[in-house]
Amino acid sequence: MRNGVSVAVAAMAVFSLALIPIAAQAPAATASGYRGSRTPDGKPNLNGIWQTFSTAHWNLEAHTADDGIPAGQSVVEGNDIPYQPAALALRRANFEKGRASDPLAKCHLPGVPRITYIPFPFQIVQTPKHVSMLYEYSNVTRIIYTDGTPHPPPLELWMGDSRGRWEGDTLVVDVTQFNDMTWFDMAGNFHSDALHVVERYTPLDADHVRYEATIEDPKVFTRPWKMNLLLYRRLEQNLQILDYVCVDFVQRKYLTSK
Amino acid sequence: MVSLVLATVFLSLASGSAGQAPAARTAAAGTYTPPRTPDGQPDMQGMWLPGGEGLPMERASIVLPPPPVDPNAAPAAGGGRGGRGNAAQRPTMIVDPPDGKVPFQPWALEKRNEIIDKQDNFAFVDPRVRCLPAGVPRVNLPIVFNTYQILQTPGHVVFLYEWSHLYRDIPLDGRPHVDPKIRLWMGDPRGRWEGNTLVVDSTNFTDKTHLLGNGAPAVGVPAGALTGGQGVFHSEALHVIERFTMTDANTIAYEATLEDPKVFTRPFKIGWNAFQRAPKDHQLYEYACFEGDHDTVRRMTGVDIDPTLNVGGR
Repeated sequence: MRNGVSVAVAAMAVFSLALIPIAAQAPAATASGYRGSRTPDGKPNLNGIWQTFSTAHWNLEAHTADDGIPAGQSVVEGNDIPYQPAALALRRANFEKGRASDPLAKCHLPGVPRITYIPFPFQIVQTPKHVSMLYEYSNVTRIIYTDGTPHPPPLELWMGDSRGRWEGDTLVVDVTQFNDMTWFDMAGNFHSDALHVVERYTPLDADHVRYEATIEDPKVFTRPWKMNLLLYRRLEQNLQILDYVCVDFVQRKYLTSK
Repeated sequence: MVSLVLATVFLSLASGSAGQAPAARTAAAGTYTPPRTPDGQPDMQGMWLPGGEGLPMERASIVLPPPPVDPNAAPAAGGGRGGRGNAAQRPTMIVDPPDGKVPFQPWALEKRNEIIDKQDNFAFVDPRVRCLPAGVPRVNLPIVFNTYQILQTPGHVVFLYEWSHLYRDIPLDGRPHVDPKIRLWMGDPRGRWEGNTLVVDSTNFTDKTHLLGNGAPAVGVPAGALTGGQGVFHSEALHVIERFTMTDANTIAYEATLEDPKVFTRPFKIGWNAFQRAPKDHQLYEYACFEGDHDTVRRMTGVDIDPTLNVGGR
């Protein structure tokens, strides 16, 4: 197990963002304005149903409206994603191929961070050892271990492997071991299998969480970059997670188009 | 157990590996008192593995002839799958009716046989082979590469299933079922604790899943179908009541009463020790089912469900 982690760490250490072994990370006392409820072990209580409201799903960068696509400002710090030149050409080619090339059009797992900002709600189930996320879209789940366990030996996963720790009231999640088959949005923004994501969930009050994801991928980008979103707690009284089984929709589409 | 993109062909083989006697009947409830969660629920949390491998789901209508006698073989331990021994006395998942058979109405039995006969036709293929959600109670039937994780928070019990990343969030607050216009692949579960037993009432199902379906291919399934194809279909009128009871620190006994007056002549009941505590440090991994399934479906039925994904490409 330790060897596997070392290999993963070595592979990721190309960039200057230090990947600190989770087990060695002591919770830092950060200043927090959070006054919402807490779990019995003293963490901000994130249990409940959440959703982002942004246009990131369609395009992370600033974009004009198109048929069925609302216009939107960039969610990327500095506005533009810092692609290497060849990668930028590939992104343009992805965009030109259109929506049907989006892996989500084939009902493939959306990857991280995209699952966070697709326009469907998700439920957080928080225990002392995990923060689990149950997504309405395609019954996707994530289990974020917060028990100090390391990433397993290198795997290739659609959703990556998530290990978290609390830094004060902020949940910091290290996500690695991705494949290269997911996109960040419908506009063709993409990554390689060297993707490494660090998410930060910072509760602002009982019903709002600041969501930041730092993206590094030395095969595709010139430097790490960051996106900023907000998670809103859904407060409708009869709300519950329903289902969106895209496997059925996709299979039926191809059957009827034959 | 790392299952990334596994061909669903294994579904048809899933329950056959255990040569030992099937799991004992579920033990009587009330003899074990599990520890409590901070909010006072019986604590079922942790990683679990499927129990009941090798237990046939129903009593076979056709008893296969005994295998050739091998004079060098050890005496049979008895109880294994495969039609040997006294079929009428072997335990099955179906505990009621006593004959161990699904109580189909006559028209429904005909439809079931048609489903079995056409397992090489995409429109009839076992929905689980198509990577569609397993539904209930089938999600709790043993397949060898599955892992279950149970989480409990105040007011909720959550089941996570490795197979095709399914989950069930079971609210315990007594809220009513959702509007009948909403149909859900995994149903709409409502839970309550009766002593140490979690009782889950589920409605609002689709008519697209199959209730049962582990084990060897049914008699009559075309040889090339790569599917168990047991054909135990149901209607949207399905109502499932499940009972989960820890009988010791490492075992959860499971019972489910299934009623659907449009398809069956009477409610019927299944039961066995469906959850066995996983070894320490066992984890649940990603199981991306559909992402690798188009090729299986194409080979099995000749239907290409995603022409952009052929021959190992994407």
